[in-house]
Amino acid sequence: MIRIAAVGDVHVDKDVVGRYRPALEQLPGVADALLIAGDLTRHGTVEEAKCMATEFGGLAVPVVVVLGNHDLQSDQQDEVTNVLRDAGLTVLEGDSTVLDINGHRLGIAGAKGFGGGFAGACASSFGEREMKNFVGTTEAIAERLGAALRGLECDALVALTHYAPVPETLVGEPLEIYPFLGSYLLGQAIDSAPTALALHGHAHAGSERGRTPGGVPVRNVAHPVIKQAYNVYQLLSEDVDAGLASV
Amino acid sequence: MTPQLDEYVEAEIQRLLTENEAIAEQGITLQRREHLLVLGGEVESAQRRDEICRQITANFPDVEIACDIGIVRAAAPSEVEEIS
Repeated sequence: MIRIAAVGDVHVDKDVVGRYRPALEQLPGVADALLIAGDLTRHGTVEEAKCMATEFGGLAVPVVVVLGNHDLQSDQQDEVTNVLRDAGLTVLEGDSTVLDINGHRLGIAGAKGFGGGFAGACASSFGEREMKNFVGTTEAIAERLGAALRGLECDALVALTHYAPVPETLVGEPLEIYPFLGSYLLGQAIDSAPTALALHGHAHAGSERGRTPGGVPVRNVAHPVIKQAYNVYQLLSEDVDAGLASV
Repeated sequence: MTPQLDEYVEAEIQRLLTENEAIAEQGITLQRREHLLVLGGEVESAQRRDEICRQITANFPDVEIACDIGIVRAAAPSEVEEIS
């Protein structure tokens, strides 16, 4: 059994330090790892990254994150990444990591992702250079995510993104902004590997549950969606012996 | 003359909520009701909620706002979901 705690869009700054910590201190009893689906900060500054490191560093479980669009706002994503890695967090962008948990190998491939929309209303690489760049950015990210997922050898495979891979978890958001919230290309990448669970954030007004066309469960763990410090998902279930009730 | 609370003003406020460095929120909803603008959504702290209202009032002094923005709870969960 592997238990994964997950949240996204925590947007940490000085005013948030200390809010999550009481719940995070309980993690070793309820989950084996914590995954964070981007938008770790408000503006992507080094100062905010240090606040993030203070709040989510030094935990008794491994912490694996991807960046979100907010974390790129100040063009300091490399420095932000270094601060987080120095604090012991694993930062993924088109690559992967494997955690040994309870005798099982949990593989996690992650990428920020990008927009473009979904079948029936998706952007195409055509016309203006800006449009080609927009679609090309998502294509390149999805390609790296898919390769990272397919390259993992593990017992349970999880995809971690900020942008959404399916439209179902966007329900509640205005239809007009779906192309800015995710892309089918991410779902296609997730479906190209035996993924057990896909986690994303970004859509604050979206819905928690969805499934890719290939059948992979998708969970939108944006903080305003789950409305608690983190959700806990159980993979490779044998029995539930945690201190949490199974639902 | 009081400027009309039209969709151009709504769009300007929507951009302010994201592009203003003191706010940087993309999850705030706006509902126009005659001359009243109702703010919804959730943020991470009371300071952020208050700053949103302060910035809108400072930049659009003629716009009357009602703030229904909540603070996202950050308690530990009591349930685990089995994925199958």
